[in-house]
Amino acid sequence: MAQGRGRAEAGLPAPQGLTAIDATLVAQALLNGVLFGGVFSLMAVGLTLIFGVMRVVNFAHGDMMVWGMYLAWLMATRAGVDPYLGFVLCAAALFVLGFLVQRLLVQRIVDAPHEMQILLMLGVALVLENTALLLFGPEPQRVRSVLARSTLWLGPVFVDVARLIAFGVAALLTLALSLFLFRTDLGRSIRAAADNTYGALVIGTDVQRVYAAAFGVGAACVGAAGALVSPLLPFSPPTGLQLSVASFNIVIIGGMGSLLGAFVGGLLVAVAESLGAVFLKPSLKELVSFSLLVLILLFRPAGLFGRRAS
Amino acid sequence: MTPHALSRRTFLKATVAGAAVIGVPQTLRAQPKTFKIGAVHPVTGPLAEPGQACRLGAQLGVEAINAAGGVKGKGGMQLELLLGDTQSKPENGRVEAERLVNQGAQMLLGSFDSGSTAAMVSVAQQKRVPFLVDIAAADPITANVAKAVKEGQQKVQYVYRNFPTGSSFGRKAVQYFTEIFAEAKVTPKRVALMHCNDLFGVNQARGFLAAYKAAKPAWTLLEDDVIPWPEPPADLSTEVAKLKTLKPDVIAPITRPASAQILLPELRKQRVESLAILGPGSPGLYEAGQIAALKDDLEYVLDSVPWPNFKNPRTQKLAEDYQKRSNGRLFDTNSGYSYDAISIIADVLERAAKLDDPDAIVDAIHKTTFTGGLMQYGGPIHFSEVGDNPNAISTMIQILKAKPVAVWPKDAAVQKLVFPRPKA
Repeated sequence: MAQGRGRAEAGLPAPQGLTAIDATLVAQALLNGVLFGGVFSLMAVGLTLIFGVMRVVNFAHGDMMVWGMYLAWLMATRAGVDPYLGFVLCAAALFVLGFLVQRLLVQRIVDAPHEMQILLMLGVALVLENTALLLFGPEPQRVRSVLARSTLWLGPVFVDVARLIAFGVAALLTLALSLFLFRTDLGRSIRAAADNTYGALVIGTDVQRVYAAAFGVGAACVGAAGALVSPLLPFSPPTGLQLSVASFNIVIIGGMGSLLGAFVGGLLVAVAESLGAVFLKPSLKELVSFSLLVLILLFRPAGLFGRRAS
Repeated sequence: MTPHALSRRTFLKATVAGAAVIGVPQTLRAQPKTFKIGAVHPVTGPLAEPGQACRLGAQLGVEAINAAGGVKGKGGMQLELLLGDTQSKPENGRVEAERLVNQGAQMLLGSFDSGSTAAMVSVAQQKRVPFLVDIAAADPITANVAKAVKEGQQKVQYVYRNFPTGSSFGRKAVQYFTEIFAEAKVTPKRVALMHCNDLFGVNQARGFLAAYKAAKPAWTLLEDDVIPWPEPPADLSTEVAKLKTLKPDVIAPITRPASAQILLPELRKQRVESLAILGPGSPGLYEAGQIAALKDDLEYVLDSVPWPNFKNPRTQKLAEDYQKRSNGRLFDTNSGYSYDAISIIADVLERAAKLDDPDAIVDAIHKTTFTGGLMQYGGPIHFSEVGDNPNAISTMIQILKAKPVAVWPKDAAVQKLVFPRPKA
């Protein structure tokens, strides 16, 4: 074999010094973490809203997100709708699904012990997962978007346009959700029902409607998150469990029931994992986020922005 | 007309006759008309796509044997598959194997992923049920049992495998890398290995590293900068950024389908230049669904995988049937090895002295020299003292014009290799 032929002969640049590379790598990892964290945040916001209002842990959360992804995929492949536009329809469809799940199922067990709620929601998760398996098959899918193929370069650091859009929309939606909860009558009713259900009942709030609306809005958030992440993350019906676990991790770190906590928690987890991939072996990056969870539980059991149970 | 009343005598006669038939020992009765094979695969869960391919491959294998008159040496005995699903969870390998053995499975087949296959091994050994592994690469699956038998902890080995092991994958990959680089007259100094960190990925990476160290080739693998990732990953942007800092000449990824769908677009987005993406052996780089999802990102990607011998007209015919039965899927590694496993089982049963004695079946497995396989083999199928088929080898395939085709070694190639990949 001819010796010494490699990069130079193939016209590839020679490796650079390590110091400069490391600084770029850390900057890149930070940026990647923040941008991907936006989607994590939106995913967790939906979960925390449902828990905050009803004290029901939605174990079907990840599977609802997978349905958001499949709807985005259907719209993209059948009607040519880009997921960065189609996310609105996905959110609307998931709102209806969430509303119906609450009205027909969750409403019956709102006051039941937690183990019964968990069983019901696990059942819903199984039905959603297996229906998706039946309809869409087991292969991992990914939505192709023109925007998802483009990148911007800031010197040596690149910005993935798909992540940037997902981050921007996720931040806007979280802001819109906060405004909805604090500035609209329905939002105020939701918060009232979350704070004191009996008090809300006494002053004439239709708590059942409020619960259904809150569940619907939570599901809509995760539907939008699903559509936004569908060009980035391949999905198949079993992806739901992985997403549910990631959401729970974020919500517990941020504080159960806290919107701000979910948003900050999402960014924190994504940045921690991204930096973990730089400084440790990348396969250990999940260790970083779950270690963060253990530390938070040790020193702030109610999470970063959670309220202590009275 | 009144219906015949069942008299006391008739009733007694019928009862006694029935009891006599039931009471006859099983061995004295006529030879069973079917032989039951417990086929366990991950038909649901994250590995459902390859698992379903395995199941369909095995089903087509059974249909072919039965349609051709069954196991002729045993009076045309038919084969019957009892189906099991691990749901892609390793622990279910044991549960499903036990269930199928309790339902009468006389042999076991499975189970695609090394974790659940390892879990099935204990059932096969404890219940003395011969087990032919159709797909699973981790070396310890057979090696541990062979060791236990050698050291006298177990009497008989019931576990055999017709699939390349992790270490043989590694050796073949290093050999093919070396030959391909020599053909292209290049000596890459920075070959970067990346891999998923499940049992399969870690085992494949170890096998590749060990084979590299043993072969001491002229090209250089960045042994200290191997990049593993948790499987399934949510994001690989930082891993790829890390890879980019290594300035790789050749990228050697060991992926799963989901991770390949994140990795390849990320390599494009971050403009990681290289002579080639050259997989030492993994799924995710050649399946029809992957090609449809990844399109251009998969073009020119090379992967060292066990591959059907499409130069064989029987393989071509079966591939057509498989496509019809699977809604257009490609006959590939998974369906092919499961199909071949059934052919091997039929050959073993043909030669086994007795079918109700698992040790007689094991004897027949030991004496196997089978040449009717449809995959690319290095010689006749037989089993070493560890229980593996040393002639189960991989082929280097390349995605050319959105189709996976064999390109190396030259005698297996159906199209000419493209290396280095043309610049975009």
